[in-house]
Amino acid sequence: MIAARGLGGFAVVFMALAALAVWREDLGLPMFYLVLASTALFWVAQATSWNVLSGYSGYFSFGQGAFVGVGAYTTAVLGGRHGVDFYLTVPVAAVFSAVLALIVGGLAFRLRSFRGEIFALLTLAVPFILAAFARVNSEIDGGQGVVVPVPEFPEWMGQFQDFLYLLNLLVAVVAVAAAFAIQHTRFGWALASIRDAEDVAEGLGVATFRYKMLAIAVTGLIGGAAGSLFALQIGFVTVESVFGLTIPLFVIVMSVLGGRTHWFGPVLGAVVIVLIQDRLSASGFEGWNLIVLGAILAVLVVVAPDGLQARLWRRPWPAVAALVLVTGVLAVVDAWGTPLDWFVSGVLAAVAVVLWPGHAPASAERRPPAPDHVDLGEIGESTGHSGQQLPENSKINGEPGEVLVECREVSRYFGGVRALDGVSLQLRAGELVGLVGPNGSGKTTLVNLVSGALRPTSGTMAVAGRDIVGLAPHRIAHVGVSRTHQIPKPFESMTVRDNVAMAIMFGRQPRPLTAAREEAEQCLDIVHLGHLAGARPAEINLHERQLLEMARAIATKPKVLLLDEALAGLNPAEIDAAVAVVRRIHASGITIVIVEHLLRVVNQLATRVVVLNRGRLLADGDPRTVMSDPDVIRAYLGRHAHARGS
Amino acid sequence: MRTRSLTALSATVALTLFITAACSDDDEPSTEPAPGAVESPGGDTGAPSGDPIVVGSTLSLTGAFGPTGIIHQIAGEQFVEQLNESGGLLGRPVEWLVLDDESDQAQVTALYERLIGQEGVDLIIGPYATPNIISAMAVAERHGLTMPQHTAVLAPLMTYECQFPAWSIGPTPNEYVPDQVFDALESLPAPPQRVAFVINQGGSTDFIAQGSPDDDSDPGAVSIAEDRGYEVVAEIRYPPDTTDWAPIAQQIRDADPDFVFNSGLAVDPVNLLQAMEQLGYRPPMMFSLFPAPGPLLGLGDVADGLLSVSIFEPNDALIQQAGPEAQAIVDEFQSRAAAEGLPYTAFETQATASWNAWEILVAAVEGSGGTDQQAMCDYLHENGVDTTFSGHLEFDPDDNNFWPSTQGLKQIQNGDWVMVWPADRAAAQLQPPVG
Amino acid sequence: MTTLQAALSGALVGGMFAVMAAGLSLTWGMLRVINLAHFGLILVGAYLTFELATSWGIDPILTIVLTVPLMFLVGAGLQWAFDRLGVEEFASLLVSFGLLIIVMQTVSNVWSADFQRMPGDVNPYATQSVSLGRFVFPAPTLIAFVFAVVIVVTADQVLRRTFAGRALRAFAEDRAVASAFGIDHRRLGMVLAGLSAASAAVAGMLFALGNAVTPSTPFEWIGVVFAVVILGGIGQVGGVLLAGVLVGTLSAVVSATWSPALSPLVLFSAIILALLFRPYGLLTVRGAR
Repeated sequence: MIAARGLGGFAVVFMALAALAVWREDLGLPMFYLVLASTALFWVAQATSWNVLSGYSGYFSFGQGAFVGVGAYTTAVLGGRHGVDFYLTVPVAAVFSAVLALIVGGLAFRLRSFRGEIFALLTLAVPFILAAFARVNSEIDGGQGVVVPVPEFPEWMGQFQDFLYLLNLLVAVVAVAAAFAIQHTRFGWALASIRDAEDVAEGLGVATFRYKMLAIAVTGLIGGAAGSLFALQIGFVTVESVFGLTIPLFVIVMSVLGGRTHWFGPVLGAVVIVLIQDRLSASGFEGWNLIVLGAILAVLVVVAPDGLQARLWRRPWPAVAALVLVTGVLAVVDAWGTPLDWFVSGVLAAVAVVLWPGHAPASAERRPPAPDHVDLGEIGESTGHSGQQLPENSKINGEPGEVLVECREVSRYFGGVRALDGVSLQLRAGELVGLVGPNGSGKTTLVNLVSGALRPTSGTMAVAGRDIVGLAPHRIAHVGVSRTHQIPKPFESMTVRDNVAMAIMFGRQPRPLTAAREEAEQCLDIVHLGHLAGARPAEINLHERQLLEMARAIATKPKVLLLDEALAGLNPAEIDAAVAVVRRIHASGITIVIVEHLLRVVNQLATRVVVLNRGRLLADGDPRTVMSDPDVIRAYLGRHAHARGS
Repeated sequence: MRTRSLTALSATVALTLFITAACSDDDEPSTEPAPGAVESPGGDTGAPSGDPIVVGSTLSLTGAFGPTGIIHQIAGEQFVEQLNESGGLLGRPVEWLVLDDESDQAQVTALYERLIGQEGVDLIIGPYATPNIISAMAVAERHGLTMPQHTAVLAPLMTYECQFPAWSIGPTPNEYVPDQVFDALESLPAPPQRVAFVINQGGSTDFIAQGSPDDDSDPGAVSIAEDRGYEVVAEIRYPPDTTDWAPIAQQIRDADPDFVFNSGLAVDPVNLLQAMEQLGYRPPMMFSLFPAPGPLLGLGDVADGLLSVSIFEPNDALIQQAGPEAQAIVDEFQSRAAAEGLPYTAFETQATASWNAWEILVAAVEGSGGTDQQAMCDYLHENGVDTTFSGHLEFDPDDNNFWPSTQGLKQIQNGDWVMVWPADRAAAQLQPPVG
Repeated sequence: MTTLQAALSGALVGGMFAVMAAGLSLTWGMLRVINLAHFGLILVGAYLTFELATSWGIDPILTIVLTVPLMFLVGAGLQWAFDRLGVEEFASLLVSFGLLIIVMQTVSNVWSADFQRMPGDVNPYATQSVSLGRFVFPAPTLIAFVFAVVIVVTADQVLRRTFAGRALRAFAEDRAVASAFGIDHRRLGMVLAGLSAASAAVAGMLFALGNAVTPSTPFEWIGVVFAVVILGGIGQVGGVLLAGVLVGTLSAVVSATWSPALSPLVLFSAIILALLFRPYGLLTVRGAR
């Protein structure tokens, strides 16, 4: 809905801006304004291209120059050396650049445990390689660079600059509209969840690899198309003019200045930077351009790391007022400068107003009080009456007693360390299994294996009759495994409600956002977090974060839920409350495996206890029997009876 | 609190910065309002009067091309000042509006559009460095402007008919340069036999060494050397951003050439010579295409005997040839360059090219009697130009206006550059290989 | 023969990469600051060496007596600011990128964009070399290698043997725990950042010893030096030397036996492969971080 209406808006913006060029002479607009606007639009497209991958998903790229370069080279070489029609070269350039992007992504994102810095450095190397490749194969560009021929264009467009402006406008508007659409659809939510906590997103059912590949392909497409216009603008393409560090430098500064998590951020950043640059060089501050640029970057990251956009949204009217007032006063006084100077002054005044420290809504005040009736005593004894119950669903959970999880001879080695060594285990539907063992006994490894975060070195595993070895974690989530993390990892940029809604949107039966939000409320009620639905994760305490982990996990409608030390670090009252929640989830028909150090809790909750020691299965059975097993006492209780979570 | 005051501070700084930047627009216009323009010291020429004729251009005053860009700025300012002192152009004063393109090709087109569209300049002149010039040429072509340009010598790429080169290596520089070098070598009593080519992969250097890769009938230095019977013992191509020169030096040493042909730029030959010296090796003779002249002289005797190309060196013999005013120009430039703190202050190829470009522009305006661009272009095609340092230039559109070259060879002798080839322009004898 | 000579002199060049990378690797690993401004400091170090040697006639190697303390103060001050402003790992990358641009442009405004090179009479090392049989070792890279070994071994020993070193490593492992044990991480951090900046001064001197400098030179370092840091394992000084030598050798051998034109292609492809298959460093077996 939002997306559809927004896209209409972009069509209107396009028409209005295009009209400026078509009726430029009637409007008395100096040609140079159009040239400046073309430059701004080029950067808008580039910054937006970069932002789709690097802003939305958080994978910082230093390789924007590669996409621009491939785009520019494609157009220059095909048009200038092989006589291909310019209009044909633009889509070809976009596709080539997207293919390059997919190769980079395919190489980089295949890796698990991949760090953002590594991606940044990898992308830094790509333009170097392309530049060297183009130099070695001088038959590509003839060794001297390529002059880009000016294409034919309809007469009504006016001069070449009008034509270039319209092309840039088209690409920029399409780019921004794409970024807008991405942000307001599942795609955008998936990317945001990757940025916030990628492994969690994957575990909840988000196909992270696919979304990252999609994002980098979009980045490549836009970057390549805009790159081919860049070739047309500079008129002469050499290796040095495209595969440099200037382009990545500029797009990063622009996006950081404008704001990386919103489609409008790069637009804002690009326009402000282009205007400042232009006025600085027009004022004879030749040697200062880069110093100002560097200072903007350094200061803004410290002062306003979220960028201008977020702050502008918070106080739009003062900013507009400042813009209009300063521009207007300067225009009326008319003592100095050109209309462009007045406008740029207005923009800078607006930026100053936006950045000026004021009463940012204090986050602590927003937090609503917990509802009165949920006192801790009640939670302690409740078995599901005080909160909303999950609908029992026999189809999801299967017949009681049926084998749900089956591990056979599962081993996992890290180098020479045998974290898990030939463990066989069956979990039946409806059980609540306590998984215990001393530190380093392999509990968390087992959880990681079942949830797909790790692959077993050997052995087989099946969930609900389906072999899960080698499946991506999100596929396993769709089979019906869900987990919580020892250290809660909420999606920090989303509200508590949306954290849960994410899991529903990308669950086994994908739901649209609005429906998912409604359903999320129910999950929150089960864990007694309903009153915090609108809060941000940063505003809630550890206990509440752990409850949020559980709410998110049950929102995927799992068959089996793996709770990895969900009670670590809580005080006794909080533990009681959490235990009640676990009971309630179990009562709704979800099979639970709880990894816990607190034997009191395990005894109280579990219908069965499994003990691991040094990667091997030590005991398995009724809690009372297991706890009195001499081996277990020796291995575990003897040394660690009083140990608490790490 | 701290963050808050910081925010306030940065906001204020941003604003002040802009205001100062904007205000300086008034105080410090980047035009060159030639000092002599208003109160000419009553010489025999009348003071220029009326609306100034504004010439617009960009130059790379900062960034990678900055070091050479500033030479063109100094030469241009000197020319404009001198022009205004001698009565201006068509009796009107001349202003030069020069913008900094920061060595960034992407800015060149936008800035030329601004000069033409926003600042309304009457004339334009080219920027510095081949990619920038070709970008500017595209703008000039779109607006139908006549554009003299200083240093783009890749004739095949300069296809706009109203672009006028001020430095020409003829229509086929890829043949002219090697032919001239080998002609000069063959004049020696014992010409070298074994040649090593060391080639920077950047556009112009690559072109002169390899010619056009698409066309075998358009050879470069390497195939010309082979055709002339030299033994090519090494052909090493290196990327423009090479930092480690030891492996290249090693390859040259192992090839044991009599002559090293370095189709290189800027400090390439300095790095090469130094790396070879570290290996305890000195090639008997070496040529380098477009080196930065200053740093080579800083190498001392290591660089002695090195050859390069030149269109003019401030040697007495050449100054004599150029005519009476040449000495004053050369001296004036030297003192201006020294005042700017340039490391190497000689009025050589770059400054000469600049001077030629301005003379072409002035001749076109005076010859056509105005600033009508097509008339200027036609005038130049029909009449050519008389220049102080390069003699009479004829522009033939069939050769992309690249006039028959007067480029010669210079050599480092006793710590200074001297013109040694061709014989009729030489200031000294070409010295044979050492050892 | 050619290959062996190239490999040896490439290994020496790798020593210079190691000096450049050592400080970067340590501040990244220990303080979680990805300091791109480090390249700016190396640049300034190179220019200061040039300036002191040419205008004051100081022996270029001895210029570090002046530049090292100066850079130490700059580095420590920078770390103080990062700490006070709460600049975290990722933000530090951006902030220091901004600082790097400022430094590069300022250097350009002060010394011009022209190539600066110490002339032969103030820098006798540039054209000297040491011969061992048929093998020749250029003096500047030989000196760089010696400095690399000294810096890396010292840093490694200090980190292993001294209390401050162990405290730093503890701090890198777990900040909260280290603080609880009374480790004054602020002061330690400033000392480490100061020392890292001091190594940048040395790296700058070493570079100026054998090369011409321009303000845009740092862009030529970034790719290779970061590769050395990653391959060596972030925060592991010993690995930095090994990685530097490997990178230098590979690049030189490809240059000498194949073509200098292919050197960046092979080098950066190798770097990408290494990033993909050994993202935690050549010496690190598994993601220990």
